[in-house]
Amino acid sequence: MTVTDPEPTTRPAQAVPGERFASPFAVQTPPGAEGWETMYPYYALLSEERAEFEDGKFWFFDGMHNPEPLYPFDTIMTENWWVAASQMSTRVWPVPPAGGIDHRIINGYLYISPNAVTDPDEIARRAEQFAERAGHYYENWDEIYDQWVAKATDCIERLRAIRFAPLPEREPVSSVLQHTGTYSSYDLITSYQELIANLFEMGSYHFEMLNLGYGAYLTFQEFCQAAFPGITDQSLASMVSGIDILLFRPDDEVRGLAKLAVDLELTDVVLASDDPGEVLTALAGHPKGPQWIEAFEAAKDPWFWFSTGAGYTHSDRAWIDDLRLPFTALRGYVRNLLEGADIRRPLDQILAERTRITAEYRSYLPTEADQEVFDGLVELARKVFPFVENHNFYVEHWHHSLFFSKVRELGDVFVEADFLDDREDIFYLHRNEIHSALYDLCIGWATGTPARGTTYWRPEIARRKRIRDALKAHPPQPALGVPPEFITEPLTVMLWGITQESVQEWLGTGGDQGTEADNGELRGVAASAGKATGRARVIVDPEDLHLVRDGEILVCRITAPSWAPVFSRLSAAVSDVGGIMAHTAIVCREYGLPSVVGTGFATTTIRTGQLIEVDGNNGVVRVVEEDPA
Amino acid sequence: MTTALSPYVMWLDDPSAVGNRLLGGKFGSLAEMTAARFEVPPGFGVTTAAYRHFLDSAGLAERACAVRAAAAGAELADVQRLSAEFTAALDTAPLPADLERDIRDAYAQLERRADQNDLPVAVRSSGESEDLAGASFAGQYDTFLWIRGVDDVLRHVRRCWSGMFGAAVLTYRPGSGAVDSAADLGICVGVQQMVQARAAGVMFTLDPVTGDRSKVVIEGCWGLGEGVVSGGITPSRYVVDKVTFEVIRREVARQETQFGFDPAAAGVGLVPVDDGLRDSSCLDDDQIHALAELAKRIERHRGAPQDIEWAVGGRGEVRVLQVRPETVWSHRETEQLVGERKSAVGHVLSRFAGVGVTRGRRGGDA
Repeated sequence: MTVTDPEPTTRPAQAVPGERFASPFAVQTPPGAEGWETMYPYYALLSEERAEFEDGKFWFFDGMHNPEPLYPFDTIMTENWWVAASQMSTRVWPVPPAGGIDHRIINGYLYISPNAVTDPDEIARRAEQFAERAGHYYENWDEIYDQWVAKATDCIERLRAIRFAPLPEREPVSSVLQHTGTYSSYDLITSYQELIANLFEMGSYHFEMLNLGYGAYLTFQEFCQAAFPGITDQSLASMVSGIDILLFRPDDEVRGLAKLAVDLELTDVVLASDDPGEVLTALAGHPKGPQWIEAFEAAKDPWFWFSTGAGYTHSDRAWIDDLRLPFTALRGYVRNLLEGADIRRPLDQILAERTRITAEYRSYLPTEADQEVFDGLVELARKVFPFVENHNFYVEHWHHSLFFSKVRELGDVFVEADFLDDREDIFYLHRNEIHSALYDLCIGWATGTPARGTTYWRPEIARRKRIRDALKAHPPQPALGVPPEFITEPLTVMLWGITQESVQEWLGTGGDQGTEADNGELRGVAASAGKATGRARVIVDPEDLHLVRDGEILVCRITAPSWAPVFSRLSAAVSDVGGIMAHTAIVCREYGLPSVVGTGFATTTIRTGQLIEVDGNNGVVRVVEEDPA
Repeated sequence: MTTALSPYVMWLDDPSAVGNRLLGGKFGSLAEMTAARFEVPPGFGVTTAAYRHFLDSAGLAERACAVRAAAAGAELADVQRLSAEFTAALDTAPLPADLERDIRDAYAQLERRADQNDLPVAVRSSGESEDLAGASFAGQYDTFLWIRGVDDVLRHVRRCWSGMFGAAVLTYRPGSGAVDSAADLGICVGVQQMVQARAAGVMFTLDPVTGDRSKVVIEGCWGLGEGVVSGGITPSRYVVDKVTFEVIRREVARQETQFGFDPAAAGVGLVPVDDGLRDSSCLDDDQIHALAELAKRIERHRGAPQDIEWAVGGRGEVRVLQVRPETVWSHRETEQLVGERKSAVGHVLSRFAGVGVTRGRRGGDA
């Protein structure tokens, strides 16, 4: 980059503070990551043919769902919504001023870019269709939501039924005696096709009602912001948010299990070890243990299909895969109970507060007509909110966690067939490559000739691991390209917290990640009110969550709801990405933690051990004191 | 109008003080606040009856009406002449003995209540005309701070009476001239224990800029609140959400000097703010919360938006110094927020089509 270029005009544009971010073409491949492009499909890559278009767009890093370089297999999640979310805006409703959301993978990181519709005539034409179609959904929301839950549950049940097993040495005799005519190789390939189709099916349900839900909430939000300038997002959410949302259920189940352990006088056993396996073994040998274990097993499925991340990558393990997190919470609740604390969520109080706040804001509106509109918008927002809040559990947690566990089952098949050393290695293959590898496997099984995959994949996976490690060591810039004049797409605003202001904020820092903000201050979305000062604990990998100590401030890419058990130890939470309705801001508020989300740079500018102040009222994070080195 | 039979002195916590016109607007409101158990510094009013008794016994009652009538519509120079002549007469007129005795007794009693000799008090006018026509008369009447000793109190009571005939009051024309300048306007003089304010200021139970009723806006400074009231000191400003008590906005102003007791002048003057405090907020979060909560209770008690003078004492205790109805937004025609009447779904559909649900009512203020 320091070499003088004889023809500067051909060089991709660099970042200009206050004006633009660096061109996506200016991003350098980190040393050791050469050839990273081969891990991803051609359509997800920047290209010379589309360079002019790609260079002129605004791209922001989707660290919210994919904080790390994408594993080739995990692009199934991003590729799903590339179509599934976009088609709702462009083809299904259509949303009058919003196009789809485009994707590119750059250095392994996912960048996204919302398209806008700007022609007023086109917007008007779309508005007509939108009114009819979206109107139908709003008018029949509750009924459609019930249908949605039935579809989602059915989809999950079908996913649960999919099984992957190594191909047998000899086909079972039953296949012959029952004249099935198709055999294990066919079953293996079709089960995989079914698995992929099942993901895309759920992926489509995911966005069936989402934009409309967000839109209703956004309208209510904007009305209140005009009526009560400066009203906090926290107040808005507390008027609308439900108390029985599914995201609280896993934690509630753990609270219930803690209570049961106390009632059955099993607390000594539960507190005896940090290892869930040891505790469960000890319980099994205890006279009253089986009763507890029965309740535990009942709670586990489905409630422990609860991802420790956003649910978009296989590395976000669910509680059910790693019981350490729920057991940490369990021990905490047992101790609380032994100290005589009431660990039930104060539901009546939360509900009474919601009623009070709503009535009081209403009373401050200038006219009766305004109050009527307010009533209508609150009611509609409350109507759509169960979907908005609960879809996360069905889709990202339950379905996605179960889905990844099925992919691991398939990984075992490849290990058995001597393609891979480790079931986890399957995630280094793109889903389309797995189609090929499976066919290769079947050829080997059918012919008796050793499959090429037995020698082909190991070195390729080793290469990809090296590349991904190199990419991971180079965190992405939050934004690239030319910032847009307007941001109108409701998902962009509500989910990613990308607003005109946040883009300006990023521009101010030159989009130059990895450097300390000038005044040691970061700005983001005020997601949960309150102020706290404490030592920072930067967590980039959910595996490290157990490092969190009492009173620390969590600094992460995104706060996942399943991290709930550590929240009780925190004094505040800060994230790089996310808006007020990001999957987790909801839970942060419930736990009463000051929180600032969407700061852009927190994990790269704040270091573990620094004393930081989180101002959840104003969305500001400040480094108060360097770590005592 | 009223005869001299009425009491010359009436305590703020006297049960008959509530709503009693003898106390004038300002002090009448404080009596009401006291009765409702708001924290109002103790004090008494030298009533409008006392004022009339003084004028009658000095033989100046008729002349007072004549002066006021003559001043109405007169040239400023003439008003100033009338004012000077009449206030000179007031300054030299004898104080009736019974009235003087009542004031001396009352001040002595206030000293006993506070357990302090030469108790510093605030002496201020409380006019009958205040708040009558939706005009606050803010700044038109006199306030004397840190008055100590009964002789000084008596002198300043008289100054408040003369102040009624200052040129500014004689020519003050609130609103559309709803106050009849020929009316026999009486005045009460409030005598109240000084709050040795660490910080003080004003607050509104709505946002005075936008009219948004979901906010309490607090303006305050170090020291006595005179700086904020007179506009001489740029106050720090806090916008508080009335529903949740979150501080929505906080603008802390640097403050070099504050109003306080100046030993050199033996009275109130501008003194330097402690070095360490100049750049800090004059209120902490607990105090902001307490003030906003107080504002909300006062508004609820009085049933309409209010503007409130407050002080925070040396031990952090919050005191109400004055309350009066908010006069700007309460008299403005309410402007509707939403342009078009339509269903909630209709609003949402419009939002998706790029049309916001609200008009810029705040921006479009006329």
